[in-house]
Amino acid sequence: MKSYAIIGFGCAGYHAAKAIRKNDPDGKIVVYSDTSDPPFNPMLSTYYASDMLSLEGTFPFGSMDEIVKDLQLELRSETKAAHVDAARREIELADGKREPFDSILVATGASAIVPASLTENAGRYFLMRTLEDAQNLRNYIEKENVKTAVVIGASMAGIKTAEIFYRKGIPTTLIDGASGLFPLAAYPDVAEMIQEKLNDLGIKQIYDAQVAAIRPNTVELSDGRTLEADCICLCIGVHANIQLVANTKAVEGTEVKIGKGIIVDEQMQTNVPGIFAAGDCCEGKNLQTGETSVIGLWANASAQGECAGKNMAGKTAFYYGNILHNITHFMDMDFISLGDITLPGEHRCFAGKDFFVEVCMDADQLNSMNIFGQYRISGILKSHLTKRLLHGDDNLTPAQKGMLLAEGLPAELINLLGDKKS
Amino acid sequence: MSYMFILDKRKCVGCSACAVACMDQNDIDVTAGDRPFRQCFTLESGPNPEDKMTFMSLACMHCEDAPCIQACPSGCLKKDPETGFTIYDNTNCIGCHSCAMACPFAAPSYNKEGKMEKCDGCLTRVRHGLEPACVRICPFGALQLVEKEEYENNLRKKAAELIVYSSLKN
Repeated sequence: MKSYAIIGFGCAGYHAAKAIRKNDPDGKIVVYSDTSDPPFNPMLSTYYASDMLSLEGTFPFGSMDEIVKDLQLELRSETKAAHVDAARREIELADGKREPFDSILVATGASAIVPASLTENAGRYFLMRTLEDAQNLRNYIEKENVKTAVVIGASMAGIKTAEIFYRKGIPTTLIDGASGLFPLAAYPDVAEMIQEKLNDLGIKQIYDAQVAAIRPNTVELSDGRTLEADCICLCIGVHANIQLVANTKAVEGTEVKIGKGIIVDEQMQTNVPGIFAAGDCCEGKNLQTGETSVIGLWANASAQGECAGKNMAGKTAFYYGNILHNITHFMDMDFISLGDITLPGEHRCFAGKDFFVEVCMDADQLNSMNIFGQYRISGILKSHLTKRLLHGDDNLTPAQKGMLLAEGLPAELINLLGDKKS
Repeated sequence: MSYMFILDKRKCVGCSACAVACMDQNDIDVTAGDRPFRQCFTLESGPNPEDKMTFMSLACMHCEDAPCIQACPSGCLKKDPETGFTIYDNTNCIGCHSCAMACPFAAPSYNKEGKMEKCDGCLTRVRHGLEPACVRICPFGALQLVEKEEYENNLRKKAAELIVYSSLKN
């Protein structure tokens, strides 16, 4: 009987367990989790914090009891794994205990970035990543009379956190060191467009502003300005949890390759046979660059976990990679980013009835795109970009073209994107 | 058993009866701006009189490996084991539109509460041996619900016949 270890039980860990069980009904699957909660989706944290979602609603795969029973797992909850001993095929737990495995999945996710320089002697501040973070903010807003808030980080998590205060009528200021909103996903003019809308809604924004320190009820900027707030949130991004395999030596003495995440191949295996990684802790293939990069998205974690699980159970499965993409629905607005906005090309803008699209084309090839105000066309366009990268097919299907036209996308843009043959 | 919707474009005249049947079956409130789950539209191959016009009727394709299921952060979507339809329970839907970005056919819609709704293949009707509303109403039989295995067997049979025919002809 084969023995599988899964470290971390979020989206990737769950899907790997499911795939292993489907392909190996008798194998021993041991799940190590540092909480006793079922798989939680970090994306739901702001919805729970704002009371839009029940606690049960934050666990998309159901209760832990159900999952353990359905997938016949051995669960080690509240258990921290300290180190993977690849040579001996053992996990060393934080309490020193060692447990064997035949193959292992590292699915440890990512954590909110908290720079020590900001938080030294800090007052109270809130993160927005884990269930505990969401519970902390929810309790604080419920119990304290919050009259002003500052959100540090104009990221997707930052805007959703700002929305919590906006919905409660609490004046909020959004701060970022970059020159505009969504610096990793939005073109500057699109960012500016959204910033104006936020301004109209009363969300104050300060860009190009480095935060020097978080003090009790005060945020200090490096240019000397200070902002007072009853509630301060830190949403400046996440980093992959790679510590578990850092310095892990394989039999031959080579280490597990790590960049910003744990580097994996198209079968989600690291350079050390039998050690797999999936989800937000890993670097899979970025289809646009051909390099590996962390693409921390729920659906990506799901597909990677499933692929890893199949391979761990002896099947052959591939996950060929993904593109950077994001949809953020906030304050009744939709912002969609497809592709890597740092790739070069000519920018062209198109306006629909209630929406705006900007594309970046390198010759006749789409490199990236921003859509503001139209979610319905996003799936067709994402599929179009991914299909070209995976299959070399540059044409939209007739049904897709018809739908895009019906949704008001200008014919010129449709022809530009996917009507190369006519 | 698993079903699939087939549109025979040669038979579709763009009457939109399927969309109206969808509105009726699913209580779509068009006066509130809601749209039927099935969309009808036309596609012209060019601007000239001799160019062709194609009529289309499109709703959820009930993909076998439906990307919306993986994309939903709240686990609202799943496959119905009996019919293969992609079905949903939107109790925990947060209206994030992630399923819309995953869908290559623009199938998901959102109701007044911001929660996702989509074609469920008229699951209740089909479970009771009835055709989906859009299929039942189609006056020319352009829209059909077929059993997937049967459809694929027919395709294989046709392909085999074509091979035999080609080899005999040569």
